Amino acid sequence: MVTEKITIEPVTRIEGHAKVTIQINEDGSVDRARFHVNEFRGFEKFCEGRMYFEMPQITPRICGICPVSHHLASAKAGDALMGVTPPKPASLLRELMHMGQIIQSHGMHFFELAGPDLILGFDADPATRNVVGLIGADPDLTVRAVELRKFGQDIIYQVGGRRIHPNFAVPGGVNRALTAEKRDHMLAGIDHALETTQIGIELVKNWAEANIADIEKFAVFDTGYFGLVTPKNGLELYDGKIRLVDKDGKELERFDAQNYLDIIAERVENWSYLKFPYYKKLGYPEGVYRVGPLGRLNAIDHIDTPMAQAEFEVYQQINGGKPVPQTLYYHYARLIETLFAVERARELLEDPDLLGKDILNTKHDFQGEGVGVIEAPRGTLFHHYWAKPNGQLERVNLIVSTGHNNWAMSKAVDSVAKTYVKGPEVQEGMLNRVEAAIRAYDPCLSCSTHAIGQMPIKIDVLDANGATTQTLKRD
Amino acid sequence: MQADTLIIGYGNADRQDDGVGWHIIRNIAQRLGQDVPNDPGAAIEVISEKVDLLFILQIYPELAETLSYYKRVCFVDAHTADIPDPISWTELDPEYEKSPLTHHMSPRTVLSIAGTIYGKQPHAILVSVRGYSFQFERDLSPQTATLTKEATERIWTWVNNSTAENGA
Repeated sequence: MVTEKITIEPVTRIEGHAKVTIQINEDGSVDRARFHVNEFRGFEKFCEGRMYFEMPQITPRICGICPVSHHLASAKAGDALMGVTPPKPASLLRELMHMGQIIQSHGMHFFELAGPDLILGFDADPATRNVVGLIGADPDLTVRAVELRKFGQDIIYQVGGRRIHPNFAVPGGVNRALTAEKRDHMLAGIDHALETTQIGIELVKNWAEANIADIEKFAVFDTGYFGLVTPKNGLELYDGKIRLVDKDGKELERFDAQNYLDIIAERVENWSYLKFPYYKKLGYPEGVYRVGPLGRLNAIDHIDTPMAQAEFEVYQQINGGKPVPQTLYYHYARLIETLFAVERARELLEDPDLLGKDILNTKHDFQGEGVGVIEAPRGTLFHHYWAKPNGQLERVNLIVSTGHNNWAMSKAVDSVAKTYVKGPEVQEGMLNRVEAAIRAYDPCLSCSTHAIGQMPIKIDVLDANGATTQTLKRD
Repeated sequence: MQADTLIIGYGNADRQDDGVGWHIIRNIAQRLGQDVPNDPGAAIEVISEKVDLLFILQIYPELAETLSYYKRVCFVDAHTADIPDPISWTELDPEYEKSPLTHHMSPRTVLSIAGTIYGKQPHAILVSVRGYSFQFERDLSPQTATLTKEATERIWTWVNNSTAENGA
């Protein structure tokens, strides 16, 4: 059968690092679709030769979207490398900063990136299907959306003292204590942030109820699920053991981060620069799993904060207590996590130890190797360092959140393309659904470089001879 | 008294020419006699009577509120070979520009948000300088370093002309 090929790709290597190709059959149906990632891996080499204590300042520069996650994962790797446990106030402060990161990132994703699709519709005019278009639909919500993101950023600033490139967490603890004045300033914003998040949750639940037919055919597939958990399998974003469950929620593994190389391996495919992690015992692709909000909520049994737990109980009902496989529920899971992050921020702010002055443990027991793990907004983030006795790094391995979801994103693109795309004339709404499949995972593809003049995404429809018959692009 | 003019540099100074905004903001801060960090990529916030300066890693939505306080805003960034001019000087109209897969926002987008939410849109320009190399380095490429001097001069003239127009 003659096929056509649709390619969605950025023009240069420094912006998108990804493209989508869709093979169209002669009858207009989709033969196959793939999500290709060309992730820049040079950063690990860049770090070799640096001192371990520099890494919490260097690694946040990997990413302009989640620098705090890299900052904290790096400090934790430094803790392990130096065999040092941070004092309690330091751990509380780090976790508080992390909650700020979760709130700002999740808040921005839902209200400013994904929300317009849900509130205004996948087929709405792209000129108005954005956060500005939301004004007409709900002006108060739009103002609240900006405020929620700002609240998360403000937590990072109040705790870390800098708006970008935090210089706060260090191996063994942190380098500045918190004042009561700053604590009270942050506490004052909690209730408003909770209200906004709950508005978002009601919005997504109402949307889900009205669009359940779409949800049930939009990238629904089984995988394992992966994330940090508390000792009793509750939601955990900062520390703890990693739990991997299968599609039915049965526990496959529960392990310390330092043993990750015993549990997961990475597959190389010749059509993507980004490797495909999988659970070793099940092999590839049977052992693929998902991370991030859906992955985390599917890997836990409960949430320790009351409002998020109440919402989690509703979430659990979606699939009769088993993991939720529908990709579009990532948005619901993301807001439940936001609720948890705001509630957890309040718990941390009300902990009397938060203002403690014992913030740095300088008693080291050099281990030579250390793994730091954290649940970044997009999923589990590993930093793994090997150092000489003088602390100079010999080797660095980073497994970023987006990598874990690589297989799932490609599968989602394939599934959505086959369901919604009909060639050869591809309509904007079809393209938007393919993008939405990727957006649900909130991948980080930008690697923090955004020069003007690049084209974030385009689609070329090619006929069997390779000639372009149609081009759709986003500027 | 708050300045009427704001210059926002943005980019990643650890990715060589992507950080041209940091270098230009730093140059202008020095002309104002302000202390600025030597660490490339560190945040810069300078408040002065003539012009306020800000360097950030990327544009974010709450920047809209900041924009609403100013009459004139100049964004400074790098550009790639897609734009032929070595130094591009563009008047910006507010327009939402969707970034389908990333959290990246454009100057036009944040202007659009400022106008829609806060009802205020400063006169805005985007000055972008051609970047030639985007490696993990902090020094600008020689070509971009040369252009940076010229761009700084032109922006400095714009600042002073703008100030004169305001009667400040």
